[in-house]
Amino acid sequence: MKKDIIAIFAVIIAVVIIIIGTDFQTVDQYYTDHIEDIKQDSKTVTMTIECKTILKNKEKLDKSLEKYVPDNGFILKDTKFVLNNDDTAFDILDRVTRYKKIQMEYYGADLNRYGTVYIEGINYLYEYSCGELSGWVYSVNGQYPQCGCSQYKLKDGDHIVWSYTCDLGRDVGCTVGGGNNGK
Amino acid sequence: MEILSIKNLSFTYPMLNTRALDSVTMTVEQGDFVVLCGQSGSGKTTLLKMFKREITPNGKCSGEVFFKGEPIKDIDDRTSAKKIGFVFQKPEQQIVTDKVWHELAFGLESLGYDSKYIRLRVGEMANYFGISSLFHRKTENLSGGQKQLLNLASVMAMSPDVLILDEPTSQLDPISAGDFIATLKRLNTELGLTIILTEHRLQDVFPIADKVAVLDNGKLIAYGKPREICRELKKHPVSAGFPSAVQIYNSTDISTDCPLTVREGRDFINNNFSKRKIEIRDTVPKTEIAVELKDAFFRYEKEGQDILAGTRLKVYKGEHFSILGGNGSGKTTTLKILSGILKPYRGSVFINGQKMNRKPLTEYSRMGIAMLPQNPETVFIKPKIIEDYIELCKIKGVENRDKKIAEITESLGIKGLMDKHPYDLSGGEVQRCALGKILLANPSIILLDEPTKGIDAYGKISLAKMLNKIKSQGRTIITVTHDVEFSAIVSDRCALFFDGDVLSNSVPQEFFSTNNFYTTSVSRICRDRFINAVTVDDAVSLIKEGGQYENKNN
Amino acid sequence: MENRKISGFNTLHPAVLFTYFVSVVIVAMFCTNPVMLFLALIGGVSFFGVMKGAKLFFQDLCFYILMAVFIAIINPLFSHNGVTPLFFMNGNPVTLEAILYGVDIALMLVGVIYWCKCYSEVMTTDKFLFLFGKAVPKLSLVLSAALRFIPLFRRKLKEIRSVQSSLGLYEKKGMINRVTAELKVFSSLITWSLENSVDTGASMKARGYGLKGRTHFSVFTFRKRDLGYLICIIVLVGIVILGMSMGISDFKFYPEISEFNFGLKQIAVYISFGILSFIPFLSELWEVIMWKYSASKI
Repeated sequence: MKKDIIAIFAVIIAVVIIIIGTDFQTVDQYYTDHIEDIKQDSKTVTMTIECKTILKNKEKLDKSLEKYVPDNGFILKDTKFVLNNDDTAFDILDRVTRYKKIQMEYYGADLNRYGTVYIEGINYLYEYSCGELSGWVYSVNGQYPQCGCSQYKLKDGDHIVWSYTCDLGRDVGCTVGGGNNGK
Repeated sequence: MEILSIKNLSFTYPMLNTRALDSVTMTVEQGDFVVLCGQSGSGKTTLLKMFKREITPNGKCSGEVFFKGEPIKDIDDRTSAKKIGFVFQKPEQQIVTDKVWHELAFGLESLGYDSKYIRLRVGEMANYFGISSLFHRKTENLSGGQKQLLNLASVMAMSPDVLILDEPTSQLDPISAGDFIATLKRLNTELGLTIILTEHRLQDVFPIADKVAVLDNGKLIAYGKPREICRELKKHPVSAGFPSAVQIYNSTDISTDCPLTVREGRDFINNNFSKRKIEIRDTVPKTEIAVELKDAFFRYEKEGQDILAGTRLKVYKGEHFSILGGNGSGKTTTLKILSGILKPYRGSVFINGQKMNRKPLTEYSRMGIAMLPQNPETVFIKPKIIEDYIELCKIKGVENRDKKIAEITESLGIKGLMDKHPYDLSGGEVQRCALGKILLANPSIILLDEPTKGIDAYGKISLAKMLNKIKSQGRTIITVTHDVEFSAIVSDRCALFFDGDVLSNSVPQEFFSTNNFYTTSVSRICRDRFINAVTVDDAVSLIKEGGQYENKNN
Repeated sequence: MENRKISGFNTLHPAVLFTYFVSVVIVAMFCTNPVMLFLALIGGVSFFGVMKGAKLFFQDLCFYILMAVFIAIINPLFSHNGVTPLFFMNGNPVTLEAILYGVDIALMLVGVIYWCKCYSEVMTTDKFLFLFGKAVPKLSLVLSAALRFIPLFRRKLKEIRSVQSSLGLYEKKGMINRVTAELKVFSSLITWSLENSVDTGASMKARGYGLKGRTHFSVFTFRKRDLGYLICIIVLVGIVILGMSMGISDFKFYPEISEFNFGLKQIAVYISFGILSFIPFLSELWEVIMWKYSASKI
């Protein structure tokens, strides 16, 4: 009996801690996250999110996802954003998708053995959504970095392209392998 | 027609010098019911195994065994398996499969019959043995008596010509044992089945046996009709196991026919003796209470029935108290409550005047309680008896360990067994060793659970002696048993456990002579003439006391 | 437990029962369509209910409802897909789709668990052995012997423990003492079981074990009724699997929940699966009605 009470008590405490430690936001709060305006002296990067490969592999795509593939293949076309100090490729992507209200899901750096954030899906297009070899990769200035996006620090003027690949990166010219270039 | 015969058979186990069987020669006629008796270690089981080729032990063997005139080693495997059925001693260990129907079919499967044939045979067996209602049950959920009946039925399913049974009832309670023997009798008379049987309960089997064979140290010392054997072996130690009527008859020198059954015994007494009486003496000093239960209630499951329902019990210091009762009446549960393994949910337990309800198990043994369980081999968990003794001494912090062990082994006569493995000992030997281990902790109250299970008549006599010795050292003994004959010999007071309570309790003479059904065979034989006589010794002492016999017929 | 009432579905031939359970469970496991999962769940639960009686049934049900709620809450914490975010937690959306998908998984899990419970109630080991014993007769005997031996072993362990604890074996406190004591008990139990197996072996040999040409007996026969059920089951499963492979019963939760589609084809699949999952319940019910009817005639 005594043990039961202790157990219940422990559960209640755990729940309270989790709730306190969790940051709840409404949908509006989340998306109105403020993004800095570009000024004369601010550092900038250019960002593109595209899924042109899907257009070539439409037969592999899950039917219910068709409407999330833009006709020209660009989810976000060459847009400039302010670069803050120490921003990584992931930080920018996170800010941009919020600002543009583009859906994005990732799992955190603590959840895999590579120690980097992994982008599962952007704009409802997930890994494996278009065949077993599909997923998101990113390039900076045309090069595919060897490290994960939350480890890659950006410089002023970098051009980041998030590409959807249907063939482990080979169809977008990436040779380091898929998995957001981590592997 | 002779069905089995042995010619000059000798057998020696490997590594041993003495012969287990020494030039045995005997013939068994078709349709005979043969009872094989002898003290433990006399070679009974070895002889039985000689008839069944599949389980004949390894060793040096000379002489020959014939089945229907053919040497047993020359008959083919199938005939040997089919025609000679063997039922073993332990009901539990010979069951192979998990379902009753599968067990019944096992032998027929081995013989390679098709499903249709097996179905018919199995159905027939289930009906004949009255176990149809158990047909789909799991074997683990059967009672001991049902298990042994199943073993018999599954051997009979193969329709053998000879049935060999090795102490089949030694692990059963008297009622199941009686049923089992009645079934054997039925098989013998209705089907003309030849039966060879070793048995502790000579009381039950002598009246129905055609022949009795007596083994002594591997030699066949007598083989003939039960009545003849009884007279012939009057002085032989094996006679301790003879039916009570025979034992009473043998103490006289009247030359009428030897009585075997209770009815014959009663006629014998009534015809030959006048009325006489034993004075009942209550020898227990009812001063100090050793153990007391006050309105104890116990049940195993919340929704279950009360096993103990307001049980009241008082056991005085220095007495041997027996609790009798049928299977599942709650005797063992009572013992477990007294030993602290179980706790009553209402009512209280007192030991030496102390209330024990909430005390832990260790406190019980500190108060001097020790229990000898129903299966004494569970007391041992080491490969040698002596190691277990030493272990217990360590746990209990016994001083002068070696001296103490020597003392106990000496007095129980188990010195030679110390280096043996518990499984290599006979039932009586394990019992004595287990008792020795318990005595190491120097308990003042000893609880015994079915101490006579699997022990033959001679073993019982030596156990009784031993218990009396232990009692004379000032210890209290509480025995739970359904062996009325044994409790009549050893107890100072007896009680009947029924419907969750201890019903009557009084000295054995009074207890058994007032009971009509739940009583010893001596009491049944003698009650018309010898008032209060319940054991063979009682009856014999009254016969001696009477001096001159008074034969009414003259 | 053991003397459970002999009822309609239970008494079918093991092969039919096995086919049935395997097909229902597989369909339920590979299907996301909430209509079908709901049917599977209700079918399983109602069968379990008639088999075990109301009391046991409700005790169980409470636990499974709690479990379902738990799964439904957990899923949105790990899955953030879906077009309808309700709110954000630590920067991750909690979406309506994820919650509903959680409910769907919970339906599936609880349904499958109930079916497995029914399976273990109905497909007792002797039935299982009958099915697979023919292929490997030795193995089936070994299994049967093992099933016989395990309870025996367990009972003996309990007995030795109880005796030894009253002899003070467990008196010393502490983890290590406790473990060594258990080891001693266990090793003596092993000796006992070896000793025991010698006796069992002798009993097997005495009954002719090891002779050539051993056969395999069972108490089950394949009757007309079994054939009827089997055909019925195969046809229904055929329709359902065909429908599933053609994508008729497809249902998506991410990113958007598909609309319920009640076209003719869909309804055919739903009805087939509905009948399939209610076969045991209906046959139990039928048995009761038949019995009442025939009893009223007596």
